[in-house]
Amino acid sequence: MDAKEFLVALKVKTGYDFCDYSEQSISRRLLKICEEQNIQFEQLLDKVIADSLYMARFVEDITVNTTELFRDPIVWISLYKTLYQRLRTTGIITFWHIGCSVGLETYSNLILLKERGLIDRVRVFGTDLNPRVLNVARKGLYAYKFNSHFKNNFEEVMSGIGSKSKFEDYFDVDEVKDTMAVKPFLTEIPKYMQQNLVMEKCPFPYKVDVVFVRNVLIYFNDVLQTKIMQMIDSKTYDKAVLILGKQEMIPTKYSGQYEQVGYYHKRM
Amino acid sequence: MSDYKAVVIGGSAGSFAVVLKMLSQLRADFELPIIICMHRLKHIRSGLVESLNVKSQKEVIEPFDKQRIEQGKVYLAPSNYHMFIEFDGTISLSVEDMNNQSRPSIDYTLSSAAVAYREKCLGIILTGANKDGAKGLKDIADKKGFTIVQDPKTADVPTMPKAALEIMKPDLILTPDQITDYLNKL
Repeated sequence: MDAKEFLVALKVKTGYDFCDYSEQSISRRLLKICEEQNIQFEQLLDKVIADSLYMARFVEDITVNTTELFRDPIVWISLYKTLYQRLRTTGIITFWHIGCSVGLETYSNLILLKERGLIDRVRVFGTDLNPRVLNVARKGLYAYKFNSHFKNNFEEVMSGIGSKSKFEDYFDVDEVKDTMAVKPFLTEIPKYMQQNLVMEKCPFPYKVDVVFVRNVLIYFNDVLQTKIMQMIDSKTYDKAVLILGKQEMIPTKYSGQYEQVGYYHKRM
Repeated sequence: MSDYKAVVIGGSAGSFAVVLKMLSQLRADFELPIIICMHRLKHIRSGLVESLNVKSQKEVIEPFDKQRIEQGKVYLAPSNYHMFIEFDGTISLSVEDMNNQSRPSIDYTLSSAAVAYREKCLGIILTGANKDGAKGLKDIADKKGFTIVQDPKTADVPTMPKAALEIMKPDLILTPDQITDYLNKL
Protein backbone atom coordinates (compact mmCIF):
# COMPACT_ATOMS: atom_id res chain seq x y z
CA MET A 1 0.00 0.00 0.00
CA ASP A 2 1.37 3.46 -0.85
CA ALA A 3 0.35 6.86 0.48
CA LYS A 4 -2.27 7.39 -2.21
CA GLU A 5 -3.90 3.99 -1.65
CA PHE A 6 -3.81 4.60 2.09
CA LEU A 7 -5.73 7.87 1.70
CA VAL A 8 -8.41 6.20 -0.44
CA ALA A 9 -8.82 3.40 2.11
CA LEU A 10 -8.94 5.94 4.94
CA LYS A 11 -11.73 7.82 3.18
CA VAL A 12 -13.77 4.65 2.64
CA LYS A 13 -13.32 3.37 6.20
CA THR A 14 -13.51 6.58 8.24
CA GLY A 15 -15.01 9.30 6.05
CA TYR A 16 -11.91 11.46 6.60
CA ASP A 17 -11.03 12.60 3.11
CA PHE A 18 -7.47 13.80 2.48
CA CYS A 19 -7.40 12.58 -1.13
CA ASP A 20 -7.45 16.10 -2.56
CA TYR A 21 -4.58 17.40 -0.45
CA SER A 22 -1.41 18.58 -2.21
CA GLU A 23 0.25 15.25 -2.81
CA GLN A 24 3.90 15.81 -1.95
CA SER A 25 3.45 17.39 1.44
CA ILE A 26 0.75 15.03 2.71
CA SER A 27 2.70 11.98 1.49
CA ARG A 28 5.77 13.23 3.29
CA ARG A 29 3.87 13.72 6.54
CA LEU A 30 2.30 10.25 6.23
CA LEU A 31 5.68 8.62 5.61
CA LYS A 32 7.11 10.47 8.59
CA ILE A 33 4.41 9.04 10.88
CA CYS A 34 5.09 5.51 9.58
CA GLU A 35 8.83 6.01 10.05
CA GLU A 36 8.50 7.38 13.59
CA GLN A 37 6.21 4.57 14.69
CA ASN A 38 8.06 2.02 12.61
CA ILE A 39 4.89 0.72 10.92
CA GLN A 40 3.55 0.19 7.39
CA PHE A 41 0.48 1.91 5.91
CA GLU A 42 -1.60 -1.26 6.46
CA GLN A 43 -0.91 -1.15 10.21
CA LEU A 44 -1.48 2.59 10.35
CA LEU A 45 -4.90 2.10 8.78
CA ASP A 46 -5.82 -0.63 11.30
CA LYS A 47 -4.78 1.56 14.23
CA VAL A 48 -6.69 4.58 12.97
CA ILE A 49 -9.87 2.55 12.49
CA ALA A 50 -9.64 0.81 15.87
CA ASP A 51 -8.89 3.76 18.14
CA SER A 52 -10.68 7.11 17.96
CA LEU A 53 -8.09 8.85 20.17
CA TYR A 54 -5.31 7.61 17.91
CA MET A 55 -7.35 8.84 14.97
CA ALA A 56 -7.68 12.34 16.45
CA ARG A 57 -3.93 12.46 17.07
CA PHE A 58 -3.27 11.21 13.55
CA VAL A 59 -5.46 13.90 11.98
CA GLU A 60 -3.59 16.49 13.99
CA ASP A 61 -0.24 15.13 12.83
CA ILE A 62 -0.99 15.16 9.13
CA THR A 63 -2.66 18.56 9.04
CA VAL A 64 -0.59 21.69 9.44
CA ASN A 65 -1.23 23.80 12.52
CA THR A 66 1.61 26.30 12.41
CA THR A 67 0.59 29.93 12.76
CA GLU A 68 2.10 33.05 14.25
CA LEU A 69 1.08 36.42 15.65
CA PHE A 70 1.15 38.99 12.84
CA ARG A 71 2.76 36.64 10.32
CA ASP A 72 4.15 38.88 7.54
CA PRO A 73 3.92 42.24 9.40
CA ILE A 74 3.98 44.12 6.11
CA VAL A 75 0.64 42.52 5.19
CA TRP A 76 -1.03 43.60 8.44
CA ILE A 77 0.32 47.15 8.20
CA SER A 78 -1.06 47.39 4.69
CA LEU A 79 -4.45 45.94 5.69
CA TYR A 80 -4.69 48.46 8.52
CA LYS A 81 -4.03 51.36 6.17
CA THR A 82 -6.33 50.15 3.39
CA LEU A 83 -8.96 47.54 4.19
CA TYR A 84 -9.63 48.61 7.78
CA GLN A 85 -10.34 52.17 6.59
CA ARG A 86 -12.84 50.93 4.02
CA LEU A 87 -14.98 48.60 6.12
CA ARG A 88 -18.59 49.57 6.26
CA THR A 89 -19.42 52.27 8.72
CA THR A 90 -22.74 50.94 10.03
CA GLY A 91 -23.88 47.63 11.46
CA ILE A 92 -21.92 44.62 12.58
CA ILE A 93 -18.88 43.54 10.53
CA THR A 94 -18.42 39.77 10.38
CA PHE A 95 -14.99 38.11 10.06
CA TRP A 96 -14.26 34.45 9.42
CA HIS A 97 -10.84 32.90 9.97
CA ILE A 98 -10.77 29.60 8.09
CA GLY A 99 -8.22 27.11 9.42
CA CYS A 100 -7.63 29.35 12.43
CA SER A 101 -5.49 26.80 14.31
CA VAL A 102 -4.53 28.09 17.78
CA GLY A 103 -6.08 31.49 17.10
CA LEU A 104 -3.04 33.73 16.70
CA GLU A 105 -4.32 35.23 13.47
CA THR A 106 -7.75 35.85 15.01
CA TYR A 107 -6.06 37.79 17.82
CA SER A 108 -3.81 39.67 15.37
CA ASN A 109 -6.96 40.82 13.59
CA LEU A 110 -8.71 41.74 16.84
CA ILE A 111 -5.74 43.79 18.02
CA LEU A 112 -5.85 45.84 14.81
CA LEU A 113 -9.64 46.21 15.06
CA LYS A 114 -9.14 47.54 18.59
CA GLU A 115 -6.46 49.94 17.31
CA ARG A 116 -8.91 51.14 14.63
CA GLY A 117 -11.74 51.61 17.15
CA LEU A 118 -13.90 48.99 15.44
CA ILE A 119 -13.81 46.28 18.07
CA ASP A 120 -17.26 47.04 19.47
CA ARG A 121 -19.06 46.21 16.27
CA VAL A 122 -17.45 43.03 15.03
CA ARG A 123 -18.39 39.40 15.03
CA VAL A 124 -15.43 37.03 14.67
CA PHE A 125 -15.48 33.32 13.90
CA GLY A 126 -12.59 30.90 13.76
CA THR A 127 -13.01 27.40 12.35
CA ASP A 128 -10.62 24.48 12.21
CA LEU A 129 -10.61 20.73 11.78
CA ASN A 130 -8.77 19.98 15.03
CA PRO A 131 -10.60 20.30 18.37
CA ARG A 132 -7.33 20.51 20.32
CA VAL A 133 -6.08 23.65 18.58
CA LEU A 134 -9.51 25.24 18.99
CA ASN A 135 -9.26 24.74 22.74
CA VAL A 136 -5.90 26.50 22.76
CA ALA A 137 -7.45 29.30 20.70
CA ARG A 138 -10.31 29.72 23.19
CA LYS A 139 -7.87 30.08 26.08
CA GLY A 140 -5.46 32.30 24.14
CA LEU A 141 -2.54 30.92 26.15
CA TYR A 142 0.84 30.38 24.47
CA ALA A 143 4.45 29.60 25.33
CA TYR A 144 6.45 32.82 25.65
CA LYS A 145 10.16 32.25 24.98
CA PHE A 146 9.63 29.83 22.12
CA ASN A 147 7.44 32.45 20.46
CA SER A 148 9.57 35.49 21.18
CA HIS A 149 9.39 36.54 17.53
CA PHE A 150 5.68 37.27 18.07
CA LYS A 151 6.71 40.30 20.08
CA ASN A 152 9.01 41.48 17.27
CA ASN A 153 6.17 41.11 14.76
CA PHE A 154 3.83 42.98 17.14
CA GLU A 155 6.26 45.85 17.55
CA GLU A 156 6.90 46.06 13.81
CA VAL A 157 3.17 46.30 13.14
CA MET A 158 2.52 48.88 15.88
CA SER A 159 5.34 51.04 14.63
CA GLY A 160 4.10 50.61 11.04
CA ILE A 161 0.62 51.88 11.91
CA GLY A 162 1.93 54.67 14.15
CA SER A 163 0.58 53.22 17.39
CA LYS A 164 2.13 53.56 20.84
CA SER A 165 0.41 50.43 22.18
CA LYS A 166 2.59 47.95 24.02
CA PHE A 167 2.63 44.17 23.96
CA GLU A 168 1.49 44.22 27.60
CA ASP A 169 -1.68 46.10 26.60
CA TYR A 170 -2.88 42.93 24.89
CA PHE A 171 -0.98 40.11 26.58
CA ASP A 172 -0.28 39.08 30.17
CA VAL A 173 3.28 37.81 30.10
CA ASP A 174 4.49 35.51 32.89
CA GLU A 175 8.21 34.91 32.46
CA VAL A 176 8.39 32.44 35.36
CA LYS A 177 5.71 30.19 33.90
CA ASP A 178 7.00 31.09 30.42
CA THR A 179 3.52 31.97 29.15
CA MET A 180 1.80 34.77 27.32
CA ALA A 181 -1.98 35.03 27.70
CA VAL A 182 -4.22 37.11 25.46
CA LYS A 183 -6.19 39.51 27.66
CA PRO A 184 -9.79 38.50 28.40
CA PHE A 185 -11.29 41.55 26.62
CA LEU A 186 -10.00 39.92 23.41
CA THR A 187 -10.52 36.21 24.13
CA GLU A 188 -14.20 36.80 24.92
CA ILE A 189 -14.96 37.99 21.40
CA PRO A 190 -14.23 35.19 18.89
CA LYS A 191 -16.36 32.06 18.59
CA TYR A 192 -14.28 29.01 17.70
CA MET A 193 -16.00 26.08 16.00
CA GLN A 194 -14.92 22.78 14.54
CA GLN A 195 -15.40 22.33 10.82
CA ASN A 196 -14.13 19.77 8.34
CA LEU A 197 -13.79 21.94 5.24
CA VAL A 198 -13.91 18.92 2.95
CA MET A 199 -17.29 17.64 4.00
CA GLU A 200 -19.07 19.99 6.36
CA LYS A 201 -21.04 23.18 5.86
CA CYS A 202 -20.08 26.36 7.63
CA PRO A 203 -21.12 25.96 11.30
CA PHE A 204 -22.51 29.48 11.91
CA PRO A 205 -25.54 31.16 10.33
CA TYR A 206 -24.21 34.66 9.48
CA LYS A 207 -23.03 36.12 6.20
CA VAL A 208 -19.44 37.25 6.25
CA ASP A 209 -17.74 40.53 5.25
CA VAL A 210 -14.10 39.52 5.51
CA VAL A 211 -12.63 36.03 5.15
CA PHE A 212 -9.12 35.25 6.31
CA VAL A 213 -8.00 32.11 4.52
CA ARG A 214 -4.24 32.51 4.64
CA ASN A 215 -2.02 29.55 3.83
CA VAL A 216 -4.93 27.13 3.94
CA LEU A 217 -5.69 26.53 0.26
CA ILE A 218 -2.01 25.67 -0.32
CA TYR A 219 -2.61 22.24 1.24
CA PHE A 220 -5.32 21.35 -1.29
CA ASN A 221 -5.35 20.49 -4.97
CA ASP A 222 -7.48 22.48 -7.42
CA VAL A 223 -10.55 20.22 -7.00
CA LEU A 224 -10.74 20.94 -3.30
CA GLN A 225 -9.71 24.57 -3.69
CA THR A 226 -12.68 25.10 -6.00
CA LYS A 227 -15.03 23.39 -3.55
CA ILE A 228 -13.88 25.62 -0.72
CA MET A 229 -14.19 28.74 -2.88
CA GLN A 230 -17.79 27.70 -3.59
CA MET A 231 -18.49 27.50 0.13
CA ILE A 232 -16.85 30.88 0.75
CA ASP A 233 -18.94 32.31 -2.10
CA SER A 234 -22.19 31.11 -0.58
CA LYS A 235 -21.32 32.47 2.88
CA THR A 236 -20.20 35.97 1.98
CA TYR A 237 -21.76 39.33 1.07
CA ASP A 238 -21.48 40.55 -2.52
CA LYS A 239 -18.55 42.87 -1.92
CA ALA A 240 -16.76 40.44 0.38
CA VAL A 241 -13.04 40.57 0.94
CA LEU A 242 -10.69 37.59 0.97
CA ILE A 243 -7.26 37.62 2.50
CA LEU A 244 -4.92 34.90 1.26
CA GLY A 245 -1.35 34.00 2.19
CA LYS A 246 1.42 36.10 0.69
CA GLN A 247 2.28 33.47 -1.94
CA GLU A 248 -1.29 32.45 -2.80
CA MET A 249 -3.56 33.42 -5.67
CA ILE A 250 -7.34 33.13 -6.08
CA PRO A 251 -7.95 29.69 -7.66
CA THR A 252 -8.23 29.99 -11.45
CA LYS A 253 -11.96 29.30 -11.70
CA TYR A 254 -12.72 32.24 -9.42
CA SER A 255 -9.95 34.63 -10.42
CA GLY A 256 -12.25 36.62 -12.76
CA GLN A 257 -14.58 37.44 -9.89
CA TYR A 258 -12.06 39.10 -7.62
CA GLU A 259 -9.80 42.08 -7.97
CA GLN A 260 -6.61 42.34 -5.98
CA VAL A 261 -6.23 45.49 -3.88
CA GLY A 262 -2.81 45.50 -2.20
CA TYR A 263 -2.76 42.44 0.02
CA TYR A 264 -6.46 41.59 -0.18
CA HIS A 265 -8.91 40.39 -2.84
CA LYS A 266 -12.30 42.04 -3.28
CA ARG A 267 -15.23 40.43 -5.02
CA MET A 268 -16.31 42.56 -7.96
CA MET B 1 19.65 18.87 -22.13
CA SER B 2 16.68 16.63 -22.83
CA ASP B 3 17.98 14.08 -20.31
CA TYR B 4 16.76 16.26 -17.46
CA LYS B 5 13.52 17.94 -16.50
CA ALA B 6 14.99 20.43 -14.02
CA VAL B 7 18.03 21.57 -12.07
CA VAL B 8 17.40 21.74 -8.33
CA ILE B 9 19.84 23.66 -6.15
CA GLY B 10 20.20 23.95 -2.36
CA GLY B 11 22.48 26.19 -0.34
CA SER B 12 22.70 28.38 2.74
CA ALA B 13 25.55 30.44 4.21
CA GLY B 14 27.69 31.79 1.35
CA SER B 15 25.50 30.40 -1.40
CA PHE B 16 23.92 33.69 -2.44
CA ALA B 17 27.14 34.86 -4.13
CA VAL B 18 27.62 31.46 -5.78
CA VAL B 19 24.07 31.39 -7.16
CA LEU B 20 24.30 35.03 -8.27
CA LYS B 21 27.47 34.33 -10.27
CA MET B 22 26.05 31.12 -11.66
CA LEU B 23 22.86 32.80 -12.90
CA SER B 24 24.82 35.66 -14.45
CA GLN B 25 27.10 33.27 -16.37
CA LEU B 26 24.54 30.75 -17.52
CA ARG B 27 23.97 30.85 -21.25
CA ALA B 28 20.83 32.77 -22.20
CA ASP B 29 19.27 29.82 -24.02
CA PHE B 30 19.63 27.41 -21.07
CA GLU B 31 16.26 25.71 -21.23
CA LEU B 32 15.86 23.72 -18.05
CA PRO B 33 13.91 25.21 -15.20
CA ILE B 34 16.18 25.96 -12.23
CA ILE B 35 14.62 25.48 -8.82
CA ILE B 36 16.52 27.02 -5.92
CA CYS B 37 16.00 26.58 -2.21
CA MET B 38 18.22 28.88 -0.15
CA HIS B 39 18.12 29.53 3.57
CA ARG B 40 17.83 33.19 4.41
CA LEU B 41 18.57 35.14 7.53
CA LYS B 42 15.36 35.65 9.50
CA HIS B 43 15.51 39.44 9.42
CA ILE B 44 16.15 39.56 5.66
CA ARG B 45 12.83 38.40 4.31
CA SER B 46 12.63 40.36 1.12
CA GLY B 47 14.99 41.69 -1.50
CA LEU B 48 16.66 38.39 -2.37
CA VAL B 49 14.73 37.81 -5.56
CA GLU B 50 15.22 41.44 -6.61
CA SER B 51 18.99 41.21 -6.11
CA LEU B 52 19.20 37.98 -8.11
CA ASN B 53 17.16 39.47 -10.94
CA VAL B 54 19.58 42.36 -11.38
CA LYS B 55 22.34 40.04 -12.62
CA SER B 56 20.55 36.90 -13.72
CA GLN B 57 20.31 36.03 -17.41
CA LYS B 58 16.91 34.59 -16.64
CA GLU B 59 13.84 35.73 -14.83
CA VAL B 60 13.91 34.70 -11.16
CA ILE B 61 10.49 34.09 -9.64
CA GLU B 62 9.30 33.56 -6.08
CA PRO B 63 6.49 31.20 -7.06
CA PHE B 64 2.90 31.35 -5.96
CA ASP B 65 1.31 28.13 -4.72
CA LYS B 66 0.31 25.80 -7.62
CA GLN B 67 2.33 27.84 -10.12
CA ARG B 68 3.34 25.80 -13.16
CA ILE B 69 7.07 25.24 -13.68
CA GLU B 70 8.13 26.55 -17.10
CA GLN B 71 11.20 26.04 -19.26
CA GLY B 72 13.93 28.62 -18.99
CA LYS B 73 12.74 30.13 -15.70
CA VAL B 74 14.33 30.25 -12.27
CA TYR B 75 12.25 29.58 -9.15
CA LEU B 76 13.37 30.65 -5.68
CA ALA B 77 11.69 29.25 -2.56
CA PRO B 78 9.80 32.15 -0.94
CA SER B 79 10.82 33.27 2.52
CA ASN B 80 9.12 31.41 5.39
CA TYR B 81 7.51 28.77 3.11
CA HIS B 82 8.54 25.20 2.30
CA MET B 83 8.52 24.51 -1.45
CA PHE B 84 7.58 21.17 -3.02
CA ILE B 85 7.63 19.96 -6.64
CA GLU B 86 4.38 18.17 -7.45
CA PHE B 87 3.95 15.29 -9.91
CA ASP B 88 1.92 17.47 -12.29
CA GLY B 89 4.79 19.91 -12.78
CA THR B 90 3.52 22.58 -10.42
CA ILE B 91 4.98 23.99 -7.24
CA SER B 92 3.17 23.70 -3.94
CA LEU B 93 4.00 25.61 -0.78
CA SER B 94 3.58 24.87 2.90
CA VAL B 95 4.07 26.72 6.19
CA GLU B 96 4.42 23.59 8.32
CA ASP B 97 7.04 23.24 11.05
CA MET B 98 10.66 23.98 10.33
CA ASN B 99 12.92 21.13 9.28
CA ASN B 100 16.56 21.26 10.43
CA GLN B 101 15.67 24.68 11.93
CA SER B 102 14.83 25.83 8.42
CA ARG B 103 11.82 27.03 6.47
CA PRO B 104 12.26 26.68 3.55
CA SER B 105 13.86 23.28 4.02
CA ILE B 106 16.23 22.18 1.26
CA ASP B 107 15.57 18.52 2.10
CA TYR B 108 11.85 19.02 1.37
CA THR B 109 12.43 20.66 -2.01
CA LEU B 110 15.09 18.18 -3.11
CA SER B 111 13.24 15.07 -1.90
CA SER B 112 10.03 16.15 -3.64
CA ALA B 113 12.01 16.78 -6.86
CA ALA B 114 13.59 13.33 -6.48
CA VAL B 115 10.23 11.55 -6.57
CA ALA B 116 8.64 13.90 -9.11
CA TYR B 117 11.51 13.82 -11.65
CA ARG B 118 13.30 10.57 -10.68
CA GLU B 119 16.27 9.94 -13.04
CA LYS B 120 15.52 13.20 -14.84
CA CYS B 121 16.54 15.33 -11.88
CA LEU B 122 19.84 17.17 -11.58
CA GLY B 123 20.52 18.09 -7.95
CA ILE B 124 23.22 20.41 -6.63
CA ILE B 125 24.29 21.17 -3.04
CA LEU B 126 26.33 24.33 -2.44
CA THR B 127 28.09 25.93 0.51
CA GLY B 128 26.10 26.12 3.74
CA ALA B 129 26.22 26.02 7.53
CA ASN B 130 23.60 23.35 8.10
CA LYS B 131 23.08 19.70 7.18
CA ASP B 132 19.67 20.45 5.63
CA GLY B 133 19.82 19.32 2.00
CA ALA B 134 22.11 16.31 2.44
CA LYS B 135 19.24 13.84 2.76
CA GLY B 136 17.41 15.45 -0.16
CA LEU B 137 20.44 15.08 -2.41
CA LYS B 138 20.77 11.44 -1.35
CA ASP B 139 17.10 10.94 -2.32
CA ILE B 140 17.87 12.31 -5.79
CA ALA B 141 20.82 9.92 -6.13
CA ASP B 142 18.71 6.99 -4.86
CA LYS B 143 16.17 7.68 -7.62
CA LYS B 144 19.05 7.61 -10.16
CA GLY B 145 19.10 11.37 -10.65
CA PHE B 146 22.40 13.17 -11.29
CA THR B 147 24.07 14.81 -8.27
CA ILE B 148 26.75 17.47 -7.85
CA VAL B 149 28.27 18.69 -4.59
CA GLN B 150 30.28 21.89 -4.35
CA ASP B 151 33.87 21.03 -3.40
CA PRO B 152 33.97 21.74 0.38
CA LYS B 153 37.42 23.30 -0.09
CA THR B 154 35.80 26.05 -2.16
CA ALA B 155 32.84 26.56 0.20
CA ASP B 156 32.52 29.60 2.47
CA VAL B 157 31.03 27.23 5.03
CA PRO B 158 31.63 23.55 4.21
CA THR B 159 29.10 21.99 6.63
CA MET B 160 26.39 21.42 4.04
CA PRO B 161 28.51 19.87 1.24
CA LYS B 162 30.38 17.79 3.85
CA ALA B 163 27.10 16.53 5.33
CA ALA B 164 26.05 15.41 1.84
CA LEU B 165 29.39 13.67 1.19
CA GLU B 166 29.06 11.80 4.49
CA ILE B 167 25.86 10.04 3.48
CA MET B 168 26.12 9.69 -0.31
CA LYS B 169 28.52 9.62 -3.23
CA PRO B 170 27.67 12.33 -5.77
CA ASP B 171 28.39 11.96 -9.48
CA LEU B 172 30.64 15.03 -9.36
CA ILE B 173 32.41 17.23 -6.82
CA LEU B 174 33.08 20.59 -8.47
CA THR B 175 34.09 24.20 -7.85
CA PRO B 176 31.36 26.81 -8.45
CA ASP B 177 32.86 27.77 -11.84
CA GLN B 178 33.01 24.13 -12.88
CA ILE B 179 29.34 23.70 -11.94
CA THR B 180 28.40 26.63 -14.21
CA ASP B 181 30.57 25.19 -17.03
CA TYR B 182 28.94 21.82 -16.60
CA LEU B 183 25.44 23.30 -16.85
CA ASN B 184 26.40 25.40 -19.87
CA LYS B 185 27.57 22.28 -21.70
CA LEU B 186 24.36 20.33 -21.10
